[in-house]
Amino acid sequence: MANTWGYGAMTNSLGDIQNAKAIIIFGANPAVNHPVGFGHFLKAKERNNAQIIVVDPRMTKTAAKADYFAQIRPGTDIPFMYGMLHIIFKNGWEDKNFINDRVYGVEDIKKEAKKWNPKKVADVTGVSEELLMQITRVYAKSTPGTLIWAMGLTQHSIGSSNTRMAPILQLCLGNMGVEGGGCNILRGHDNVQGATDMCCLSHTLPGYYGLKDGSWKYFAKSWGVDYEWLKGRFKSKKWMNAKGFTLAKWYSGVLAGRPGEDKIDNAGTNLKALFVMGNGITSIAQQAKVKEALDNLELIVLADPFVNEAAMLTDKKDDVFILPAATQFESSGSVTATNRSAQWRYKVVEPMYESKPDHEIMFELAKRLGFYEEYTKGMLIKENKKSFKFPEDATDEIARIIKTIGLTGWTSKRLKFHTDNWHLFDEVSLRGIGPVKGEYYGLPWPVWTETHSGSPILYDINRSVKEGGMGFRNRFGLEHDGVSLLAGKNSAPKDSANPDGYPEITADNIEEVLGIKLTASEKKRIGKNWKVDTSNIIAQKCMERGIAPYGNAKARAKVWTFPDQIPMHREPIHSPREDLVKKYPTYKDKPNHYRVDTKYASVQNKENWSKEFPINLITARLVNMSGAGLETRASKYLSALTPEMFCDINPNLAANHGIRNGDMMWIHSPEGTKIKVKAHYSYSVGEDRVFIPFHFAGFFQGEDRTGNYPEGTEPYAVGESANTVTNYGYDIITQLPETKGGLCRIEKA
Amino acid sequence: MNYARMKFYCDEERCIECNGCTVACAEAHELPVGISRRKVVTLNEGIFGKEFSTSVACMHCTDAPCEQVCPVDCFYIREDGIVLHDKEKCIGCGYCLYACPFGAPQFPRDGAFGTKGVMDKCTMCAGGPEETNSAKERELYGQNRIAEGKVPICAAMCSTKALIVGDEQEVSKIYRKRVASRGKGVQGAPYGWDKAYK
Repeated sequence: MANTWGYGAMTNSLGDIQNAKAIIIFGANPAVNHPVGFGHFLKAKERNNAQIIVVDPRMTKTAAKADYFAQIRPGTDIPFMYGMLHIIFKNGWEDKNFINDRVYGVEDIKKEAKKWNPKKVADVTGVSEELLMQITRVYAKSTPGTLIWAMGLTQHSIGSSNTRMAPILQLCLGNMGVEGGGCNILRGHDNVQGATDMCCLSHTLPGYYGLKDGSWKYFAKSWGVDYEWLKGRFKSKKWMNAKGFTLAKWYSGVLAGRPGEDKIDNAGTNLKALFVMGNGITSIAQQAKVKEALDNLELIVLADPFVNEAAMLTDKKDDVFILPAATQFESSGSVTATNRSAQWRYKVVEPMYESKPDHEIMFELAKRLGFYEEYTKGMLIKENKKSFKFPEDATDEIARIIKTIGLTGWTSKRLKFHTDNWHLFDEVSLRGIGPVKGEYYGLPWPVWTETHSGSPILYDINRSVKEGGMGFRNRFGLEHDGVSLLAGKNSAPKDSANPDGYPEITADNIEEVLGIKLTASEKKRIGKNWKVDTSNIIAQKCMERGIAPYGNAKARAKVWTFPDQIPMHREPIHSPREDLVKKYPTYKDKPNHYRVDTKYASVQNKENWSKEFPINLITARLVNMSGAGLETRASKYLSALTPEMFCDINPNLAANHGIRNGDMMWIHSPEGTKIKVKAHYSYSVGEDRVFIPFHFAGFFQGEDRTGNYPEGTEPYAVGESANTVTNYGYDIITQLPETKGGLCRIEKA
Repeated sequence: MNYARMKFYCDEERCIECNGCTVACAEAHELPVGISRRKVVTLNEGIFGKEFSTSVACMHCTDAPCEQVCPVDCFYIREDGIVLHDKEKCIGCGYCLYACPFGAPQFPRDGAFGTKGVMDKCTMCAGGPEETNSAKERELYGQNRIAEGKVPICAAMCSTKALIVGDEQEVSKIYRKRVASRGKGVQGAPYGWDKAYK
């Protein structure tokens, strides 16, 4: 997404889905994972006659409310979408003006789409030609159409191609930057968008600033600490600019060097300690490896309101510490919703017993490690204070520093005011009335200045920049292969001083692009470009002239820095179709992928996996559970709904294996691991696949490990973790695990 | 002023089997696990075009069969139509369970033979015959939200607002509005004249 048009975030909002005339959902199950948000889908259907189309390997609760349902083979979303584009281009249903003015590289897409005729698509995806044509017609003709996805699209070895393919489909239909359209990725947990924006990740600084020297220097300055001191914290400067390990592959950091393990490039050392803050370790693929890694660490610290399953999974007896972290009800601060809106969360009760909020745990740690002063200094700078108030001053620090996604307007004062007055906002348009007139609820970013309205719909040129309008971001240079990447004539946001495409604003080009003259004092104070301009002069001047600080460029269908410049179909690492593996092989092995030599072709080609493991394995969530299930399985009422780990299996498949409804069965994985679960007959899965939920823990490959829970902490529901049998396989760009497309073998237990 | 009866209605076009209602009910009234005052029923699970779900509890019948068959006359029907019972009179015979077409009456499931002990069922969050909002009422029947002017917890927590509860005229008004607005486009605020005469 970010590589297509500038930002990797939901473009519209949940409420705006009510404006859609068609809703197409790939690899998402909002009825289960976002039940309240799904109300907007149902209202769209009810009031707006919106056609709901679900493309999913399972007949989900969402599909139960759909008008059309395509039961696709896992990992074949790209052929399905090319199949749609094939029909769209053939009939001339694409939005030609939109493509001409606002998209780069569609010619290459057209060429590839031509190859995917409905017959070929049907063979690869398992969806009939008739259904594909019906769906394409309905979706292309019912505009605006919104496209929804979640983890079903991202957790594949080709996930980063999937998430480019969906935007391309929307761009070709002109469904971007309009009410009722957009690419609406539904975030999986509370505040995931906020965690991503703050980059609780290993490859960039907060606000997506990257790891280059310029970014470090900007942050050193903004935090009020010495850049040389920051540099000195690293083993050598090289590591300051190098991506770290990912959550998906951290175990390799511990296990590297052992026979058969992936090699690492980590300053000549393995990982020795693990500090977990609020992450359910059993929701990570390769559970057997995770266990082995845990067993071989020198130190494990688990900070969670509930006992993290890592403590139960590991055999390590010493140097495992469990810290009681406070819940969200015992702390306060801003949280970011899936649509980039922020909301203030007030503390309900003081932290109970010995528990402490996360920030206090981190402050204490920083004190003991000797950098507490540097760690908290950023909160004092704005008003040159002697002491800070958490979390208000932290929120204001974020507003002061993060320009890239336009958080300047997210002061704690404004966010609280919105939350306190949420009754003054409309649920569909997010527009406020009375004292918040002209603002949108929660100030969806970018909110360029301290008085800006927020931007409820990204890339909407029908609004002025002041009212949240903007074109696509100028992020990939000014031209490629001799073609300008700036937007076409008259495609600037409403009321713009510059009606055409323009580059991102810098101190050097501001006078020319905006058609203004800066005073000598302004010239002195202005930052180098809009991303580091703490003087806010660029944003201020841009608002006055109706210019988006990040430019007005074309979205791109082609990413020339990726291994596949346009999205290409590649079979999952473990595919049930050996014939198609030959035709659409995966990538070559990738060295130093987030410090780990990650395998692709060498695993796919090792053997014909489908021979011994003919069944597709699908994992997903349950409505009553969250993540690894630490907190939800500790609730007796939630546990009572699904007290045991189970496997949804088609009665025909089960009967052929002699498995009765309610029997115990084994699921074996190509990794050599296995789990024992209860069979649950269901027609929601076809005869070639089974479904298992990933919220359980407590058992490991048939072995009861619940004795490892500290006394009185065993959850009400325990069972095998699905991730013990999910297969090896990681995305080529993000390294997300391929948990939504793997293989298994089943037998009666 | 004429008061109609209090009623539940579950809009199966909207019910997604999230079980928010059942968990909210159990949490609010601190029910033993296994007592389902409210449950979500799904038919034809997993079959496209045929699967649907609905949430069921005591329907607070006008002519409540449970009340008619009870040998100790422990049931009483309030003026607003809510059907309640007196747990101190109930002998746990289970007649009401056989009479009820909805499977609303619940019996403790612990012990060797299961159905022993006094009956428990949905009170529409209106407590029981004990003093309103007393500790004893709470202990025996759970919260009395109706006395506090609150919507029953199941409907309050319903994620898609499939489950509607209240004065039967209000319930039918909400549902009628839903039916009437089918296909009429998005309801923005405020609801203006342009929409009213369309």
